[in-house]
Amino acid sequence: MSEYDSIHGEKSRSRRASRTGSGSQDPPLSFCLPPVPSASRTGFAEFSVRERMREKLKAARVSIQNDFPSAEEAYKFFTFDFDSEAERKKTGIKKRNELNHEEEEAEEEDAETHEEGQEEDETVRTKMPENMQPRFLEDEGLYTGERPFVSPSNLNILENRILRQERGKEWFGDDGKILALPNPIKQSLTRPPIFSLEEGIEPELETLYRKAIKVTAANQYLVGSGDFQGPFQLDIDISGLIFTHHPCFSREHVLAAKLAQLYDQYLARKQKNLTTLLTDKLHALRNAVQCSIEGGDAAAPKPIAQQSIPEYKMEIRQTRRLRDAEQEKDRTLLKAIIKVWKEMKSLRDFQKFTNTPMKLYLRKEEVDQRLDEKAYEAEIQDEINELLEEYREEYEKKMEEYKAELQEWKSWKRAQSKKKKKKKDLREEEESIDESDLGEEPVKPVPPKMVNSLEIEQQVREKVDSFRRKPGEPVLIPELVLSGSITPSELCPRAEVLRREDVKKRSSFIKVLFNSKEVSRTVTRPISSDFRVHFGQIFNLQIFNWPESLKLQIYETTGISSTTLLAELFLPVPETTVLTGSAPIEEIEFSSNQRVMLDHEGVGSGVSFSFEADGSNKMTLMTSGKVSNSVSWAVGEKGVPLIPPVAQQNTGIASALKSIDAIASIGTSGLTDMKKLAKWAAETKLDPNDPNNAALMQLITVATSGEARVPDFFRLEQLQQEFNFVTDEELDRSKRFRLLQLRNAEVAEFRNYKEVPLHEREISEKIFQDYEKRLRERDVVDSKHYLDARRAVVANYLQKVRESVINRFLVAKHHFLLSDLVNEEEIPSLGSEGPGILGLGIFKLAEPKRPLKPRRKERKKVTAQNLSDGDIKLLVNIIRAYDIPVRKAVSKLQQPSKHSRSFNEMFTASPSAQSPGENIDWVLNQVLVRPFVEVSFQRTVCRTTTAEGPNPNWNEELELPFRAPNGDYSSHSLQSVKDEVFINLFDEVLYDVGEDDHERGSGIHTRVERHWLGCVKIPFTTIYFQARIDGTFKVDIPPVLLGYSKEKNLGNDRGYDSVRNLSEGSYITLFITIEPQLIPGESVREKMNEMLKKFDTQEDEKLLQAAEKYEAECTSKFPSRQCLTTVIDLSGKSVFITRYIKPLNPPQELLDAHPNSSQITAELVARYVALIPFLPDSVSFAGICDLWSTSDQFLHLLAGDEEEHAVLLCNYFLGMGKKAWLIIGNAIPEGATAYVLTLEQNQYAIWNPSTGCFYGQFDTFCPLKNVYCLISCDNIWFNIQEYDSPVRINFDTSKAKLWKSFFSRSSPYPGLSSIQPEELIYQPSDKAAVVELQGRIEKILKEKIMEWRPRHLTRWNRYCTSTLRHFLPLLEQNRGKDVEDDHQAELQKQLGDYRVSGFPIHMPFSEVGPLIEAVHSTGVHTIDIPSVEFALAVYVHAYPQNVLSVWVYVASLVRNR
Amino acid sequence: MAAGGGPDVFLVSVSGEIESGQFPGLDELYCKFCFVYGQDWVPTAGLEEGISQIACRSDAAAAALVWNLPLDITFKSTNPWGWPQIVLSVYGPDVFGHDVVRGYGAVHVPIEPGRHIRTLPMFVPESTSRLQKFTSWFTGRRPEFTDPRVVAQGEGREGGTIFKLHFSPNFCL
Repeated sequence: MSEYDSIHGEKSRSRRASRTGSGSQDPPLSFCLPPVPSASRTGFAEFSVRERMREKLKAARVSIQNDFPSAEEAYKFFTFDFDSEAERKKTGIKKRNELNHEEEEAEEEDAETHEEGQEEDETVRTKMPENMQPRFLEDEGLYTGERPFVSPSNLNILENRILRQERGKEWFGDDGKILALPNPIKQSLTRPPIFSLEEGIEPELETLYRKAIKVTAANQYLVGSGDFQGPFQLDIDISGLIFTHHPCFSREHVLAAKLAQLYDQYLARKQKNLTTLLTDKLHALRNAVQCSIEGGDAAAPKPIAQQSIPEYKMEIRQTRRLRDAEQEKDRTLLKAIIKVWKEMKSLRDFQKFTNTPMKLYLRKEEVDQRLDEKAYEAEIQDEINELLEEYREEYEKKMEEYKAELQEWKSWKRAQSKKKKKKKDLREEEESIDESDLGEEPVKPVPPKMVNSLEIEQQVREKVDSFRRKPGEPVLIPELVLSGSITPSELCPRAEVLRREDVKKRSSFIKVLFNSKEVSRTVTRPISSDFRVHFGQIFNLQIFNWPESLKLQIYETTGISSTTLLAELFLPVPETTVLTGSAPIEEIEFSSNQRVMLDHEGVGSGVSFSFEADGSNKMTLMTSGKVSNSVSWAVGEKGVPLIPPVAQQNTGIASALKSIDAIASIGTSGLTDMKKLAKWAAETKLDPNDPNNAALMQLITVATSGEARVPDFFRLEQLQQEFNFVTDEELDRSKRFRLLQLRNAEVAEFRNYKEVPLHEREISEKIFQDYEKRLRERDVVDSKHYLDARRAVVANYLQKVRESVINRFLVAKHHFLLSDLVNEEEIPSLGSEGPGILGLGIFKLAEPKRPLKPRRKERKKVTAQNLSDGDIKLLVNIIRAYDIPVRKAVSKLQQPSKHSRSFNEMFTASPSAQSPGENIDWVLNQVLVRPFVEVSFQRTVCRTTTAEGPNPNWNEELELPFRAPNGDYSSHSLQSVKDEVFINLFDEVLYDVGEDDHERGSGIHTRVERHWLGCVKIPFTTIYFQARIDGTFKVDIPPVLLGYSKEKNLGNDRGYDSVRNLSEGSYITLFITIEPQLIPGESVREKMNEMLKKFDTQEDEKLLQAAEKYEAECTSKFPSRQCLTTVIDLSGKSVFITRYIKPLNPPQELLDAHPNSSQITAELVARYVALIPFLPDSVSFAGICDLWSTSDQFLHLLAGDEEEHAVLLCNYFLGMGKKAWLIIGNAIPEGATAYVLTLEQNQYAIWNPSTGCFYGQFDTFCPLKNVYCLISCDNIWFNIQEYDSPVRINFDTSKAKLWKSFFSRSSPYPGLSSIQPEELIYQPSDKAAVVELQGRIEKILKEKIMEWRPRHLTRWNRYCTSTLRHFLPLLEQNRGKDVEDDHQAELQKQLGDYRVSGFPIHMPFSEVGPLIEAVHSTGVHTIDIPSVEFALAVYVHAYPQNVLSVWVYVASLVRNR
Repeated sequence: MAAGGGPDVFLVSVSGEIESGQFPGLDELYCKFCFVYGQDWVPTAGLEEGISQIACRSDAAAAALVWNLPLDITFKSTNPWGWPQIVLSVYGPDVFGHDVVRGYGAVHVPIEPGRHIRTLPMFVPESTSRLQKFTSWFTGRRPEFTDPRVVAQGEGREGGTIFKLHFSPNFCL
């Protein structure tokens, strides 16, 4: 049977060959597409047939010799013989008939082989040259190709004819067969085209009617197929599940998974050992070349060998390239392994616990240095030589080209010159043509360059250095072991413990679905800590249906209830040969796109996380893993496989098909999958020697070496390209698309961009210019804008910090908590003050009604979202002002009353001694002041009526509309409003401008002038966060107001005199609120803090827990009081707050200035601190979070907000030996802020660090309104007194009833090291640079003033300017106090006939912009009297560490007539 | 819906009515509507928000509460992204007479011109615990969305925030 089969197969194949060979004219497709069945098999089959025949014949002969043959044998013999004879005669005719009947052909084949068997030797010998042995290339493993079938008789005729000719033997090959091309079929069509009878229809498209037949659906049930052969069984063995990523993976697990993967890759590569393989091949090739060259010299020249040398060389090049690539890969893989391991180690060090038992050992294998070096050198030399040769060849080729070109060029040149000569005669007429000819001059070719051998050597060495092991360097062999110990949970931080607990809660199971129906499921097994689940279950499926699909569903359960489907994966239905027992366990990968975000150490799935602190370098991992399983057909009791028979048949046909056509067997998608392709190639026994398959074979051998790199792309949607309506490049170029993308990414410039234009053409390039400029200049320090290179650097740095913070903020903003979305009543608890019927509120119902004590009604709060322009109004209620400077008679010379107050004076509040006579004098000479207030906000200006006297009472309500930026009323946008409310105090002055007495009699002609006296600035964000601002504010009045004086003593007849006496400066009482009341978006800040807490910290876990507990306790008792224990430093880590407090040395220069008065020194230090520019985080970071910088960072950056100022000041005071604390509290107008408390001679003084002012504890005008907690270098005290106003509390922290301390006797202070430096080092400021800066500022300001007066001539009075300039250093020396009168007198003396109005402005220097703003806001330039002159002087005083104090004196002068 | 209006913008005009609602077991409800739309959309005419009368259950139309509240608004836009959605919220008295929310729902304005009928499933957030459920029932302060527009937004739904929703029945537009 089997014998027949093989012959049969042979026959049918040869029949096909003969048919195609005998001139059928359309090339069969099967020839082009599938690889032809292998020749080697053919050879084997033929051989076996021959062998069998020979044996039979032998047997026949033997039987003839020995005894009489049996009748049957004789018959057989004769029929055979007869047949063959007859066939030989017939064949010719038969061929012509083209009736290839199967049986006849079979016999013919048999006959052929028979004949061959007998006559093989002689015939071959006749065809071979003498003394040559026939050689069968095929047997030597070389590819011969399939010879076309030619009938033996024809072949014989042909061979005989050839042999008769001279040199006929040349036509025969080594094996004695005639030389033949493998495939004689022409690719082109030679048959004449068919002409169709019907017109208008292409002949190929002609349709034929065929009756529709209903295809009977394949019978699904095995049972129904009649002869049911018993149960069939599939065994599904699910042994386990390994997660390669899981949401509960800690960062370490992620690294470990990566490491394991890399290591697996390493092992696989090691097993393949491609590098050595390729190296060996390279050596072999080199040897071959060497041999053939040398052999060529010795023996007769072999043309074939010579020919093959370039081929060899070509191959050497290729192999070398491959080898280099492999080596590089090896090297990078090793590096990657080491890198990941290092990362893991550092992570373990950092987090102080270990989660995975992985350990990597690097075993060093010493090598013989000398040998190694030798081999290395030799290798390099070889390579250099080869490269040289290569280059030389190229050079020669190029040289030839060059020569040819040169030749051409020369001939052209010659022709040109000839032409020119000719043309000289005809020049006049044909000039134009001449010119046009000249235009076509070809370029003179450039000779190619020979490559320098040194260069090559260098190149090679560089390359080799980069990825090959250095000689003598030990070979590193990584070894991954699982012997490490895992830190037990007790020693882990809380987040980690939470994670582990979470893992413990999780378990998973797998459902088995057969034909999409669940048939069984595994038991639920917990996920182990290394994320492996062991099932080890075998399911025996007795099946009745055709196995169409086999599917596993992986489920995960968390806790008790929730079950989620992680992934589905399809198992292939096994081949019929796969039986239980022999089936290998396979690992099938799965992954899920589920998105999980966890609130512990687990990194989650589908959620981006990063190993960096500031959220950069993000990565997103999806849950993935492997299921190890095996599916096989069961074996019955008697060893009969329980496989459905029809399936057998089916697969049989399929496999026959498969062996022919790659696409049919593995599908088109399989062509990109190397593994499948390789498997298919192995199954079909593709002839590796067939040149048709060469490309495929090479691809498979090189590419399937265990790496997924092969296709450089991954195509999720193969057809995606078809549906792209525009190419990616075009899409990238599209401005509109870019705009949309940027907006979606919430880039600051485009965040609230509205109405993106519909058409590309409507978007101007300008939109992107700013953005691109910002991107470009991010790293470029531009000193032009900052006047000072150092500040430019600082500004740049701050910008980067800001970006990093905003990056985090954006993450936080899109992370919603339940409370952000749903308003829900909290669970009422008994005894709390909270709302709800069960709380204390119920008792309030029982309270008696008191109509004379109206209770404040809460205003309804409005959510910010559903608002639009014009809905929100800012209400400013201006009540009264105190102590406004009054006009002074020009002639009056006040006696210089200089009196600085001491602490004692302040606290005792004694009225200062002034002679009553003076008072009387003053009262008599009093010139009225007519003040009014102007409020400007967002360019809307409102003013009050004019009142009279230095203590006016307005009591007026001003209403200003509010417009949010871009009409975006979300709380986030409102927080970042940078507008300020300016409350300016003016004096209205009436000048009589009547020209003469005559006019004066008939009418009043006055000019109204307004003189600026001072202002109060309140940022909008403060109002927004505070909801209302109610209080008395100090008016910012310039130290010198020309023409005004400020009286400190108004006489004893006023009741509040004593109070007012305590303070200097003017005050204004205001009430500001927003109508309707907006809900401040506080939640963002809290959430941000939550987020930040998750970030790294270096604090002890216990301390943090204690801090959290402490905070919770404090806030539960006093929810309105802020308790601060940890803050975030510039690098984004939370730090315990007491670490910021540490005695630090103030600049020596300041200490030396007034050695005998500690009070003045303290004031000077406070002033120094206040001079450091103020940069509120709340504006720049949009109310997100406070970043606390240490004092040295603060001094380096020269910018910070209240906390930094307070910390520095507190540290200085401690350094000066004072007792000082940091106060966390609430002040107006700043809101939540930090102040400094000092103990001075049994009195407490409160220092405002951002202005440098100090107040007594009982000072009414102290801006600090609430005290929440005190912080010293070793403890925190939370205020648990009934009141929190500084006037009403006791600052004695030793009383446990009043102050709740963080560290107490039960939990003592652990001695936390400070994060402040040991000592601050001050760099003296550069005097020359300061002088230069002074000049530049002055120039800029002068230009600006002229710019603001475009219609008027601006004259500068030099004399006055120089006077002012001399005066400014004096002001700095006296810190702006009490110099007014001297100055006034002096100025008056020098500029006798001018009316001067102007004032000095003092600011800490940060940028030039605020200075310009300040000068502009005074309105000095607005004066439009024609003969006005101006004076402007700038003085910059430098304190150590580049802290600059800037004075600008602006004045306008009008000549008195 | 009509498109056109020059080369710069396209206009979408919506007119329709909030017809009726089916809230078995509830009576005397009123509804509010508002439109939620993307950054590139600007309403040019019509009402963006509105509130209906209180409707009582009719005996005739199978326990439906009929509002027949007309909607009429025109938007202009440059970008289909942020296509307007109508957000409905229905309120009514509970047992104690407190005004509580009975349902939220949102649907996109149809993108095709013509007459469309939309049926919205309505839902309300559930209390997080049984105790809270009781107290909120007792006090009449049931959980509400901070802003009804939440239901038209996708943010805050993934991973972190999970709130239970109680679905109440349908609603015709």
